[in-house]
Amino acid sequence: MKPVHYIFAGLAVLVILVAGVGAAVLLTPYQFHGSEIAPARTAPEIVLPTVGGESFRLSEQQGKLVLIFFGYTRCPDVCPLTLSEFKQVKEALGERADQVEFVFITVDPERDTPELMAEHVARFDPEFVGLSGSAAELDPVWRAYGVYHEAVPMSAGYSMDHSAFTYLIDKAGNLRLTYGFGTPVEDLLADVRELLKEEP
Amino acid sequence: MNRHTRLLFKRGLVRLLILTAISFALVLAFSEVSFILQKEESDRAPQVVEIFIPEGTAQLIAAGNRITSIPEEMTFVVGDVLVIHNNDSVQHQLGPLFIPAYSSASLAMNTADANAYTCSFQQTQYMGLEVRTPTTNWTRLQGLLLAAPATAIFLFVYSLVVVPLEKKPKAEKPAEAVE
Repeated sequence: MKPVHYIFAGLAVLVILVAGVGAAVLLTPYQFHGSEIAPARTAPEIVLPTVGGESFRLSEQQGKLVLIFFGYTRCPDVCPLTLSEFKQVKEALGERADQVEFVFITVDPERDTPELMAEHVARFDPEFVGLSGSAAELDPVWRAYGVYHEAVPMSAGYSMDHSAFTYLIDKAGNLRLTYGFGTPVEDLLADVRELLKEEP
Repeated sequence: MNRHTRLLFKRGLVRLLILTAISFALVLAFSEVSFILQKEESDRAPQVVEIFIPEGTAQLIAAGNRITSIPEEMTFVVGDVLVIHNNDSVQHQLGPLFIPAYSSASLAMNTADANAYTCSFQQTQYMGLEVRTPTTNWTRLQGLLLAAPATAIFLFVYSLVVVPLEKKPKAEKPAEAVE
């Protein structure tokens, strides 16, 4: 065997190895970073008033992904951090950001009016949706999404203890993934990108 | 390099190779015996770990009862996937997991950590989850590759002291007394 044959044989082995590794990577199903809910089920309906006097309906968002977080405007830590992460996700998505709705719903309707919620989220991004309503309107939503919230008296007023899940609704309106507070933005972004590939 | 130096170099190299082989065998034997003796439940390959929340769990918890089929603490290894099947008629939560009624939710355990999470299906309202880094075959091989060369060098230096490469010239026999 001439030296040139050895070179060709080596190259052939290399090509086969690269092809094998590439195929393995491509054929491996995507592993979501969030907690995946199975079977995927229709997300509980959310109907809450908006500032313009109209209503926000979750069911009308089909065809888009929806990221939902429950919190309150006077929250000193978890809520602003989550909203700033939403902003990072939106910026990273670029043009495809119009396929994602970012929604912030209050757990403190006594102080958070729809106007205040809209103003608050606009500080992060003018396209974010901030929702409030009466306790009667919000209560079924909190229950459906398992939102824990409790007022904690302080020397001046009160703060709110609340759960800190981010819920990801897919284009078909199914509750697909949840994320605990502290999930890296990159993980959330990767999952959003993956779900954007799906057809509604 | 003269002939004498070459001879010494050759002797040293042969000795080092032999001691390296011995070191690998010794380290392998010691580490494997230690591994077998100290092996823990978490020294295993990653797997899917399932928890089933039985029907009526929320009612039992509200009544102050404990769900005996679900442990209060669990240990995982990095790479495990925890899948919780909720067979109850109400949603449940475990730390970052939200599990709607009659659904399941999964969580990949990607980081070694230990936490007590709030848990709706424990009477104490908390559940301890510990994620450990497993001792894999690669970990064991790494240990061997780190320890064996160091042991070989130690044995080699020790051998130079005990049995020098350069043999001492044999003492000449004393000349027989001539009467």
